[in-house]
Amino acid sequence: MAAIAPRRLTKELKELTMGECPAGVQLLQSADFETWVLSLEVLGESLYKGEVFALRFRFEPQYPIASPEVTFIVDDKFKAPIHPHVYSNGHICASILGHEWSPVLGVASVCITLQSMLASCKKRERPPDNDRYVRTAPASPKKSRFHYDDDTV
Amino acid sequence: MESNTQRSGEPAEQSQDTGLSGAKDPELAKLSRAQLLELNQKFLEETGLETRERALISQRLPMTVLRGEYDGAPTFVRRIDWLESKGYKTVRRSRGDGDCFYRCTSIAFAYVEKVLNAPDVALAVASALSTLEATLPLLKAAGFEPMVYEDFYEVFRSVIEQIVTPDAATGERLTPDILLEAFQEPQASNSIVVYLRLLTSAQIRAAEDDYSAFLFHPDTGEPMGVREFCESFVEAIGREADHVQITALARALKVNVRIAYLDGRGSGDAVEFVEFQNRIDGLESDSSGSNAVVLLYRPGHYDILET
Repeated sequence: MAAIAPRRLTKELKELTMGECPAGVQLLQSADFETWVLSLEVLGESLYKGEVFALRFRFEPQYPIASPEVTFIVDDKFKAPIHPHVYSNGHICASILGHEWSPVLGVASVCITLQSMLASCKKRERPPDNDRYVRTAPASPKKSRFHYDDDTV
Repeated sequence: MESNTQRSGEPAEQSQDTGLSGAKDPELAKLSRAQLLELNQKFLEETGLETRERALISQRLPMTVLRGEYDGAPTFVRRIDWLESKGYKTVRRSRGDGDCFYRCTSIAFAYVEKVLNAPDVALAVASALSTLEATLPLLKAAGFEPMVYEDFYEVFRSVIEQIVTPDAATGERLTPDILLEAFQEPQASNSIVVYLRLLTSAQIRAAEDDYSAFLFHPDTGEPMGVREFCESFVEAIGREADHVQITALARALKVNVRIAYLDGRGSGDAVEFVEFQNRIDGLESDSSGSNAVVLLYRPGHYDILET
């Protein structure tokens, strides 16, 4: 049967471009059904006010059964937010990208969840094991086994 | 956390025993149910009984295959013999790799196979399709966007439809072999499983009052809210289903499910069955006089029993 990812992504793309993009989120690149880039900022008062981040989504043919690989882009233009669940290489420790992923979620809901994760942050700091993790991290965070220990930050 | 097992309406005693060699070991007794399932999974993987290469659903296998796994466990062997004496001659193994929804897959496959083998196929298909169509408003009422479920619905619907209407691309009707092929193909198989997960969630959300008293966190045993439970333990990929989920899915699909518990509970050689009774029209009764989908449960894993 035809791959399921293009069918679902076609619909998500339509929603994102037809004015249903979450506030503070912009589609920067969606030329194919493998990699999308979106900019993300936190609206309102937060520790990240005025900062713009970029997220890279990578989709497998099994998306949305398989979770997307989602990372903050770290390059000349963008940096990863300084947050206890975001590593300096852009990898994100969020349960919905791991064992709590479900096909009910999508690109927009992931963006909203990450916005709210940033908005509720009380202290700008890296995860305590940042240096060790970044030294040994696999290229894809989907290959990391994160320990989701704290839902409050 | 055991109270949720009473959903079945089966008065049988549900012991905490998960059946890992009787689980009377004090070390094992300290582990949570989820930890025991994980341990069992690890054991299966280490012993090579469970590999990534195994088909999602197998051909019918004789009960001797099952018996062979319990060399040195006479209680289990006797119970497998007991099942066979009750007319269950074959088993279809499902893959339990922890990532795929083997339990739901078992139900889905066995369900479609029942429809395929019904004495009045046309009636059974029409009935199954109308039941399935009636699930759409349920999903909508649960707040799922059509985008989320329609592709998965279509996969399930077309498999059932193909029983009487030849597939447009291949010109073939569904045969037992094509059904098996369809369920061995991960994308179709997993799509159906996702649909059933969403349907299970929608059913629990729609009849919140029926289920809310029975929703517990599988690790901590703490009571959980409906939404949180559905998001974390019904919709999420690879999460085990327990009695609550089985009850809800059986009800939504209007299917009778019987589960044989081969997990070391009880005494004697008889295997305990738990029934999830709903109405089915036009489906054939097996030799035990039941028209139920029959699954074999072993800790953390479900296979299909057939006569």
